[in-house]
Amino acid sequence: MLTYAFNPDIIYITESNNDGDVEFFIRFVVEAPHLEKFKEVQHYFEDNEVYTDALFYAYENHEYRVIVRSDYYVEFVLQLMKHRLVEQVQWKE
Amino acid sequence: MESQAIAAIAIFLVIYALIISEKIHRTIIAMVGGIIMVAVGIVDQEAALHHIDFNTLGLLIGMMIIVSVTAETGLFKYIAVWAAKKAKGSPVNILIVLMLITAIGSAFLDNVTTILLMVPVTFSITRQLKVSPLPYIMTQIIASNVGGTATLIGDPPNIMIGSAVSELTFMAFINNLAPIAAIVLIVYIPLFILIFRKQLKTTPELRSSIMRMDERELITDRKLMYKSLTALGLTIIGFFLHQALHLESATVALAGAFLLLVLTGEHTMEEAFRKVEWTTIFFFVGLFVLVAGLVETDVIAKLAAQAIEWTGGNVTAASMLILWMSAIASAFLDNIPFVATMIPMIQEMGNMGIDNLEPLWWSLALGACLGGNGTLIGASANLIAAGMAGKEGHPISFVKFMKVAFPLMLLSIVLSSAYIYLRYLI
Repeated sequence: MLTYAFNPDIIYITESNNDGDVEFFIRFVVEAPHLEKFKEVQHYFEDNEVYTDALFYAYENHEYRVIVRSDYYVEFVLQLMKHRLVEQVQWKE
Repeated sequence: MESQAIAAIAIFLVIYALIISEKIHRTIIAMVGGIIMVAVGIVDQEAALHHIDFNTLGLLIGMMIIVSVTAETGLFKYIAVWAAKKAKGSPVNILIVLMLITAIGSAFLDNVTTILLMVPVTFSITRQLKVSPLPYIMTQIIASNVGGTATLIGDPPNIMIGSAVSELTFMAFINNLAPIAAIVLIVYIPLFILIFRKQLKTTPELRSSIMRMDERELITDRKLMYKSLTALGLTIIGFFLHQALHLESATVALAGAFLLLVLTGEHTMEEAFRKVEWTTIFFFVGLFVLVAGLVETDVIAKLAAQAIEWTGGNVTAASMLILWMSAIASAFLDNIPFVATMIPMIQEMGNMGIDNLEPLWWSLALGACLGGNGTLIGASANLIAAGMAGKEGHPISFVKFMKVAFPLMLLSIVLSSAYIYLRYLI
């Protein structure tokens, strides 16, 4: 199982099950430069060939919901890690 | 019949069969066919170049550049989500507004581009509502073909007809085809709701999640969007005025495209040129030369004479024959080569004494564009949408699509027959 850790002074992430997919709720406590980094994650998933791997929904005050297909869960978390939106990623038994 | 005419027919039929078989890419086949026509001396190179309709090609390239740049701005996603919110998150209302956006988009943009822009945002909205995307995608396919019928630039058959017949201006297409396209869409709406009603249910909570979305976040480049909208707006105004300005539609489209590139710079130009569908452009080039072989050897003239004989020179009978034949042919075959063959034939019918060609041109446009709705292989946009849906786990089979779309296509041709008869023939 892949686990991750984030800095709650910068970003707040929760996840839940959504019909077999994983739904992330993301809120930015500090916007710059993290919001731009998050947009890069969004572009990564929107510019590839798969349309439903991760669907991004934007709400007021830069709050986001992302519905991630379970087979893209790891890739999504690793993209968050790559863009330093999470601080630690670890495989746990 | 002289040997060159027989050779031209043989080459044309073999190439046509290879295009239908889809074993080799249609662009390669059409270009090979055109080259053979020149190589064996049926058409000399100068005549071949003369038969290539550069107005059609210029119009396609100009619009492809404008649309590819505009699509980068997130504008189309913004419009779709804004409309979904206006529809109060209701699955039925969203089906209708997305269908209408697709139809209007297809009237002014290429159908394939409209589908490529609409389907991803449809996946996003339907996933949120937890409804199947299939009713939405199928109605968008059908709407793209109906919307494309409404204008000169909406669908390749119309671009070709408008380029070949100078009296058929942008406004003439809107005046004559937009009313029937609107009628067809209005008739389709309750039928779509009836057909898909069981799949269009969601919960109030999921509806409210649509209402809370912030569509402004979807605009990725505001500056580029304003530049694109300026160029697109001026181009559309140019289309409305092209006759008064004594400009061909291709000049208007290319002027709009290069104005946009002046405003956006070199980097955008390279990206936009990469996104021009050169395969489509060369497909047209090959077809124009292929059909030139039939024109130069008088095969088209003989076919026109035959058509006049069958219909007794009666415009009503000729219109209905062209409308229904175009519709059925376009449901199963690529409508571009079909229209490329029909245009010189109708022109020849004019040379042979049929003086009122207008209903024949509108019959050809309506049959070729609306006929594309008959089956999944009837138009490129149908196949692209089905491919996108299939890849995401929502396959649209040939039969599944045909069960819904073929009767609807026939209905649109019945409505078109009545329209043509009442407006032009009595």
